[in-house]
Amino acid sequence: MLWLVGALFSVLTNRTAYYLDPGSGSFLIQLLIAAIAGAGIVIASQWSRIRRLFGKKKNQPSEAEDEDDEQKPDA
Amino acid sequence: MNKNQTLDSSFRDPSGFLFTRQGILYRQVNRAYAENYARLMESGLYAKLVKAGLLIPHTEVSIEPPAPELAFKVICPERVPFISYPYEWSFGELKDAALATLSIQKRALKAGMSLKDASAYNIQFYQGRPTLIDSLSFEVYQEGEPWVAYRQFCQHFLSPLALMAYRDVRLSQLLRVYIDGIPLDLASSLLPGRTRYKLGLATHLHLHARAQRRYADVSLAEARGGRKMSQQALLGLLESLQTTIRALEWKPAGTEWADYYGATNYTDAAFEHKKNLVGDWLSTIQPKIAWDLGANTGVFSRQAASRGTFTLAFDIDPAAVEQNYRQVKTEKLTNLLPLVLDLTNPSPAIGWHNRERESLVERGPADVVLALALIHHLAIANNVPLERLARFLSDLGEWLIVEWIPKSDSQVQKLLRSRLDIFPGYTQEVFEETFKPYFEIQKVSAIRDSDRSVYLMKRK
Repeated sequence: MLWLVGALFSVLTNRTAYYLDPGSGSFLIQLLIAAIAGAGIVIASQWSRIRRLFGKKKNQPSEAEDEDDEQKPDA
Repeated sequence: MNKNQTLDSSFRDPSGFLFTRQGILYRQVNRAYAENYARLMESGLYAKLVKAGLLIPHTEVSIEPPAPELAFKVICPERVPFISYPYEWSFGELKDAALATLSIQKRALKAGMSLKDASAYNIQFYQGRPTLIDSLSFEVYQEGEPWVAYRQFCQHFLSPLALMAYRDVRLSQLLRVYIDGIPLDLASSLLPGRTRYKLGLATHLHLHARAQRRYADVSLAEARGGRKMSQQALLGLLESLQTTIRALEWKPAGTEWADYYGATNYTDAAFEHKKNLVGDWLSTIQPKIAWDLGANTGVFSRQAASRGTFTLAFDIDPAAVEQNYRQVKTEKLTNLLPLVLDLTNPSPAIGWHNRERESLVERGPADVVLALALIHHLAIANNVPLERLARFLSDLGEWLIVEWIPKSDSQVQKLLRSRLDIFPGYTQEVFEETFKPYFEIQKVSAIRDSDRSVYLMKRK
């Protein structure tokens, strides 16, 4: 039970205490990928806005919504 | 206290644990997790995920918790009829489990939460869909924080899927050895060079593996250097993982049983007769759970499933299992689960104390075991004596529907073609005598237009 108390203590005292080791390299690489991918999303969203500015109305269903990742058979 | 049985599969997470009491499964939620649990329920995330079939439903119950000094609540989750493991899943099953995990994480973010783990073992096939069974996997999202489960997601899902798609589908079996997912450096070294030119795999896998090596001795704080990750960036990461996983494909073709049904010596009449016999017997015994061993693409499994029986369709061939799974999805079946299994070396108990993940036998018994067009493969191709076969099958289930295939059968002749016939005892009489100490033979029926017979037996 000691480990439980220890874990409880660390959770309460430190908000960025992870119960799994996220790995230093894993953290760093995801910061890098996320920065690029996140920028990609911003550009993509701006791009559709620009297109709309020029009167190109195109239905882009559920791009930012999560309906597209509803589980459905894709076989 | 001793009436509680704590489950050996949930001991790492201080948020709570599973236990059974009088055969009912419960989960204690600890006080340490109270804030997160409240957010899950009150933000509407729980309801949304349950509605989408992505999270196992539970009810809160007022029973005495097993560890009251830590307890916040006790919940009673709906029970999954059979716990399967990622090394038993086909490519498509693992891929769908990966996509379900990402979908859950995206929805969680919208509700101000994040998955604190992304273990493939937290996903189970429930009513035909990959579903998160660990209700305590969510934590309140902290703005600026990266995804703590990113490494685990890549090891549990991306590594095996990439290896299956680009190297060999059988490499999913590495998950049996590496319980916390396939190490990225190992996957990176096994994958063909051309995967380095695929953006998703180049970054999430190859570069990721290099970063792990490079920063192995660097502390998290040092590596991070105070950098924050916006929610937008985190969403970008998830989208990128989604794209990478979706792009991984594997086509089930050219394996052992691909054209098995076409190549058997069954006439249509014999096949139909066998189907009807099996169907009638299943209607009589009305099993809740059926294990179809050597199920191929699940023709006979469907005889059970269509009668409302929850059916596991085991086969050694990943292509047959994949085809079966794709069919299950198309047919929207909710009670048929195809799984990869080598009966001559069934899934062992693995993990801490050999108790974290159960062996196949421990996850039984089934109400009925189907062993159709199977025993010649075990008795002749694998030299398993009939007595051992009877003992094994009697361990697995209450009822047995087994097909006898005589030596004269062309399938058996094919197996004997390249080897010495050391099986003088492989006769129908010996078969019956050998099975009798373990089973009571209730029905025997010769299959029309063939030399084969099917038996309905009940365990003694």
